[in-house]
Amino acid sequence: MAKIKRIALAQLSSCWGCDQALVDLHLKLLDVLPALDIVYWPAVVDYKLHDLEALPKNSIHIGMVEGSCRTKEDLHLLKVMREKSKILVAWGSCSAYGGVQGLGNQWDLKELLERKFMKADTVTDGRIPDENLPGFTESVIPNPDIVAMDLILPGCPPTSENTLEALVALLDNKPYDLPDKTVCDQCPMEREEKHIVKFRRTYEGKIDPTKCLLDQGYLCLGFATIGLCGAQCPSVGTPCKGCFGPPPSVKDHGAKIISALGAIADMTPEQLEAAFPDPLGSFYFTDYASSYLSKIRDKMRRDEK
Amino acid sequence: MTDKERTIRIEPVTRLEGHGELTIKLTKAGKVKDVQFNVSSTRFFEKFLEGRFAEEAVRIAPRICGICPEPHHLAATKAVEAAWDITPPPAATKLRRLLINAKQYSSHALHFFALAAPDFLAGPFGDPANRNVVSIIKALPDVGKMALKVMQFGQDLAAAVGGKAIHPVTSIPGGMMNPFSEEKRDEFLKRVAEAKELTLETVSLAKKVVQDYWDPITKLAVVPTYYLGLHNKGDLEIYEGNLRVMDPDGKIVADFKPKDYRKFYGEHVPAHSYATHIYYKPVGYPKGIWRANSLARVNVADKMATPIAQEALQEMRDALGRPIHATFAYHWARIIELVQAVEEIEILLNDPEIVSTDVKLSDVEPKKGEGVGCVEAPRGTLVHNYWTDERGIITKVNMVVATNNNIAGIEKSLFKTAKQVFEQKAHESLNLPDPMIK
Repeated sequence: MAKIKRIALAQLSSCWGCDQALVDLHLKLLDVLPALDIVYWPAVVDYKLHDLEALPKNSIHIGMVEGSCRTKEDLHLLKVMREKSKILVAWGSCSAYGGVQGLGNQWDLKELLERKFMKADTVTDGRIPDENLPGFTESVIPNPDIVAMDLILPGCPPTSENTLEALVALLDNKPYDLPDKTVCDQCPMEREEKHIVKFRRTYEGKIDPTKCLLDQGYLCLGFATIGLCGAQCPSVGTPCKGCFGPPPSVKDHGAKIISALGAIADMTPEQLEAAFPDPLGSFYFTDYASSYLSKIRDKMRRDEK
Repeated sequence: MTDKERTIRIEPVTRLEGHGELTIKLTKAGKVKDVQFNVSSTRFFEKFLEGRFAEEAVRIAPRICGICPEPHHLAATKAVEAAWDITPPPAATKLRRLLINAKQYSSHALHFFALAAPDFLAGPFGDPANRNVVSIIKALPDVGKMALKVMQFGQDLAAAVGGKAIHPVTSIPGGMMNPFSEEKRDEFLKRVAEAKELTLETVSLAKKVVQDYWDPITKLAVVPTYYLGLHNKGDLEIYEGNLRVMDPDGKIVADFKPKDYRKFYGEHVPAHSYATHIYYKPVGYPKGIWRANSLARVNVADKMATPIAQEALQEMRDALGRPIHATFAYHWARIIELVQAVEEIEILLNDPEIVSTDVKLSDVEPKKGEGVGCVEAPRGTLVHNYWTDERGIITKVNMVVATNNNIAGIEKSLFKTAKQVFEQKAHESLNLPDPMIK
């Protein structure tokens, strides 16, 4: 591997699962660590924000940004990371698409704040906290729509191997391209001609662990989801929820799923609508914030103001 | 004495999962006026879970915490099962116990080695550049390798049972999506012996840390609070049982079913933190500030559920009594729980029912209802409370996540420590060992 390179890992609002996935390389970490000079990684290393801010422009070889901008502090950190990094990576589905918290874009910020801080059933003295705190963004906007990203590595989280492969390529100045294939391409289940006449919910019946879940009537989103995870969920008899987002050639994950379902299922639009009363939750698990629907809603919100 | 008030900001608090900052305000005379633990992010799961199929909450909720997704996966499952009046097959419950113990094990190991150990091995005045697990791996490769192996055992087992370790997928209202194969069981039965050995080595390392740092452990941040934790007939428990509350004098003041949590839980919203302060409601805030997590669990439990862990707890109680208010003793308690986790894992792997194929009901019916799912996450008691309509769609959510039980307690500890440091210069007179990493 090439000479030691500076790396920074920054966490915006997220679950930190991407970090855990990196740590889960375990003994393999010993192969990568000697090549890295970690200049910022609050989860693990004691450097503070002012240390990062004090670094010269473009002085970090690889900047990994996990999480999305739910607060104004996240926005600041994202911009600092862009300024300091030569190569900036949108690491994980939050960073790439907004993440599961993007589903919050279905509501106005005011409603989110009220539910959590004023109306929660256990709250005894509600208020909206605002002292020595950053304040929230009006909605979750995907990081690549805020700053330019040099690489997008989706996943909730990206597997340990995904992150390792990307890091090794970047350290060696080699390209890292996302595959234009789907989870189905990686899935070991037996597939047949599809004749879906009814969708079943995950708790219903017993899943045959050798056969395609979609063929069995379970909404498995492997057909519209990028094949990067190794089909982890369907391989254990559990439907893919699409947490890695779509393959690179698909611009809107949910729109692709809806149009494909129309073709796959022998069902009327009314039957499909009845089967999926929560289309946003069902078809946009980690990428609602990057959907046309969310962007249109955001625009309408801005126009109202 | 300076001529003006001073504010110290630590931004961010590092080696912490989550987003936190610290604000310390000092008066002109150098007295501590205020200490705030500013938790600076939240993502509103309690709102955006509304409108979803309830069984999807078990996939969404784990994203609350990438370090401890298993407890969220299981609390969500249990909340839906309670709302729909479902009892999963006994073998499914055993698999879930295996899953949560695997997580408890890897998370506690991660916390001890990656988050806490750098303070002790590099020392509190060590160079910040070296005060991290990466330096431990470089300077003390044997300890580093042991740390990585211990963490890996827990994560690998969690992945084997949960489908994946980070954001597991196999638990579902009505049971588990698939059984545990004999092949996998045999693989982990082989590995558990080494894990147990490494755990005992970790205990020895922790004991050395305790001896070396006896002075700060017993002098700094000793803060009486209430304590909250799950137990099963007095044994320390992390999957299902009753909740106990212990007062600062060590008296059990409440022992209740988790479904009744709202009678006992108060949630104070501070102006300076997005993470709320949970407290013991009957006595009010701030008097009722409680803490959860390892130390709270060993305080409220009469004993550990497994023999080697019980010996370790007895040793701790002989040294520090019960209840223990020393904040640094959390690390010690965590190691005791690490032992219980590996012992529980071994017992479960040896249980023939763990490979039963009867792990999922096939006649689950959604209904209108309300349910509470409660488990212990590594960082404390976790409650998911869902309301569903007749189609099994979530209409309302209340959640008390583990860490929120500790925020007020952390702030109290920090306030006490700030007073000791800024007003009494306690850090200058502490008896500290020579750091192992320089």
